[in-house]
Amino acid sequence: MDALVTWLQATSLSQTINLNLWIWPIAEAIHFIGLALLLGIVGFFDLRLMGFFRRISLIGAHDLVPFAIGGFALNLLTGIVFLIGHPEQYVHNVAWWWKVGCLFVAGANAGLFEVSIGARTMALGPGEDTPLSAKAIGLVSLIAWFGVLYFGRMLPFIGDAY
Amino acid sequence: MTDLTAWLEGTALATWVRESASLWAYPTVLTLHTVGLGIVVGASAVVDLRLLGYGRKLRIGALAPLFPLMAWAFALNALTGLLLYIADATIKTGQWVFWLKLALIFAALWVTFATRRIVLDNPDSRPEDVIPPNGTMLAFASLVLWTAAIIAGRFMAYIGVP
Repeated sequence: MDALVTWLQATSLSQTINLNLWIWPIAEAIHFIGLALLLGIVGFFDLRLMGFFRRISLIGAHDLVPFAIGGFALNLLTGIVFLIGHPEQYVHNVAWWWKVGCLFVAGANAGLFEVSIGARTMALGPGEDTPLSAKAIGLVSLIAWFGVLYFGRMLPFIGDAY
Repeated sequence: MTDLTAWLEGTALATWVRESASLWAYPTVLTLHTVGLGIVVGASAVVDLRLLGYGRKLRIGALAPLFPLMAWAFALNALTGLLLYIADATIKTGQWVFWLKLALIFAALWVTFATRRIVLDNPDSRPEDVIPPNGTMLAFASLVLWTAAIIAGRFMAYIGVP
């Protein structure tokens, strides 16, 4: 791991990220915009899956998911910028590994939904309650994404990243 | 003005937020501020995207319960924002980007009240959703203003700090 860190630090991309005064702040701003887009749309769908907002059409809410994926793409990209810029402050940070763990749970959970009960659940009309399996998946998603946010925001305080 | 901000910073509450080593002080206040941001901006993005013509299977009136959610999240951010402000009142008062952020938030709120009006004007009893001619402009303005508020907030860590 340390060899990878040293190699990343030596790349010209890493040095550019650090020498330029604006790359880091702009990447951070984009990271927060992506966060809002992702959390807002996924959280909206999750709450409906959990049985709240029953007048909402499940398929209609699901139709907005490409925007959440767009937000995620922004955050993956800017996250990689942070990682290349300062790999040492992430790979040795327990909060970062928790964040990555929560990301995998959120991703696996979403994948599970799509391949299992997704189509069946989306066929439910407005006003209809969701099955317990859908409620569980919605809750896991909500907790996992808030976990991603929590450990991301706590990176400077639980570990020592900024 | 400096007397007032110095007094604010000297209060026990501000000192605790700024100087306590506890994760419950500055880190948690900052994290809650980020959670509130995600809910306010994310939920309003859902409404804005629908008004812009995405997720057409969503009945506009069914989005109404998002507004109380946004109101609670906004209250959380007003409170945590106030705590973050008093913790470093002198610096923040002197930052133009802080005043820009506040102006953007007030403008965004004003636009959000207008989009809320559109949602509330589309009850279930209406056979078809009606978006007034200015709906597209309002939705676009909401997305731009909230995004700009996030950018200004993020840049408070970089512009005008000693």
